[in-house]
Amino acid sequence: MGDYIKDSTTSDILVQLNKRFDAEHLPEMVALQKEFKVFSAKHTLRQSFALLGIVPTDASEREGWFYFLDQLHKYKSDLPNVTGHDRWVKVIQKNLESATPRPVATAAHAAADDLGLKVTQGKPLVFSSDEHIIVSVPTTPKGQVKPRGAKTKK
Amino acid sequence: MTVSPRTDRAGAKPGDRTLRGVFSDVEAYYSARVAKHGATPLGVDWSCWATQNLRFVQLLKLCDFSGPFALNDIGCGYGALAAYLAMRHATTAIDYLGVDLSQAMVRRARRRFSGSGRRFVVATSSPRVADYSVASGVMNVSLGHPREVWEDFVATILREMRRASRRGFSVNFINADIDTAHDLADGLYRTTAQRWIDFCEGELGCSVETIDGYGMREFTLLIRCNEPAAI
Repeated sequence: MGDYIKDSTTSDILVQLNKRFDAEHLPEMVALQKEFKVFSAKHTLRQSFALLGIVPTDASEREGWFYFLDQLHKYKSDLPNVTGHDRWVKVIQKNLESATPRPVATAAHAAADDLGLKVTQGKPLVFSSDEHIIVSVPTTPKGQVKPRGAKTKK
Repeated sequence: MTVSPRTDRAGAKPGDRTLRGVFSDVEAYYSARVAKHGATPLGVDWSCWATQNLRFVQLLKLCDFSGPFALNDIGCGYGALAAYLAMRHATTAIDYLGVDLSQAMVRRARRRFSGSGRRFVVATSSPRVADYSVASGVMNVSLGHPREVWEDFVATILREMRRASRRGFSVNFINADIDTAHDLADGLYRTTAQRWIDFCEGELGCSVETIDGYGMREFTLLIRCNEPAAI
């Protein structure tokens, strides 16, 4: 997100994620997980979201979205020694395979405040009483991220 | 039982302009979709690969994969089922025939998936009798046609699938809570399982199993032929 894709694409992706994992669509996601193991250690997030069609509507933004997902391998998470990428995969897998799966809300927070991907629980939607799992992804506004491939000065 | 011999357009009576108009509209719609979205799930009006393949899982519950068989794929689009079979059922010898109204779809399917045991033809119905026939999503997008016209189209497709299947055929529909005259305002045809179970059992002389509860607002009918089709 942030510098990798346009702001409008970030909004587009968040809407897609929050719709596909809301309470209404949860049975479909559970069925897909049961049949195809969409979320597992065998698949990257890039692959999983591509299979689910959770990609930018603007086709020119797709590589940026996939690049961002790949970058999550380098992100920390709220669990020690677990990358942001793996944390996201595992929390969705565990939830969809549990006896009482919950809707998942995806949000973003400032990487300046917390560099890691965070998972919490709560009721993030004021219009809904459903308890959600909340995945919050660190993001940096445009212009504040070093260019792709740039090396850090030693 | 006997099934009517094949007529000129998927069971349409000669001179039946309304039904021919439906086939023509369907052909134009899907040709436009694949021109816009390419050989992708969106090109055949499915949201993604995963849901498209979950539908194949249900439809193929009809088939006995313990031995070789012949399969007609009605409304095959760009050949996604052929790819799915190669991925999930590679050890079973399947004589696959994809049938679609759209030349543009079939051209893409041939380019991507033609090979030994896999053929594609442009037609309104299968030119051969196979062990099984399947149709995924063929009945859903009614393109603004009145309900009675669309149901005539559905019945025509089902009769033709019966004619072209020795052992059985399977189809899916969007679920309606009650079988009322839905206004089709969003261009989608919704129905109840019972509406078409009655048709398949009563008119086609088949036995029907309903598959639902797979996380989608739809159901799949597995329709088994009690007697071989009369060719």
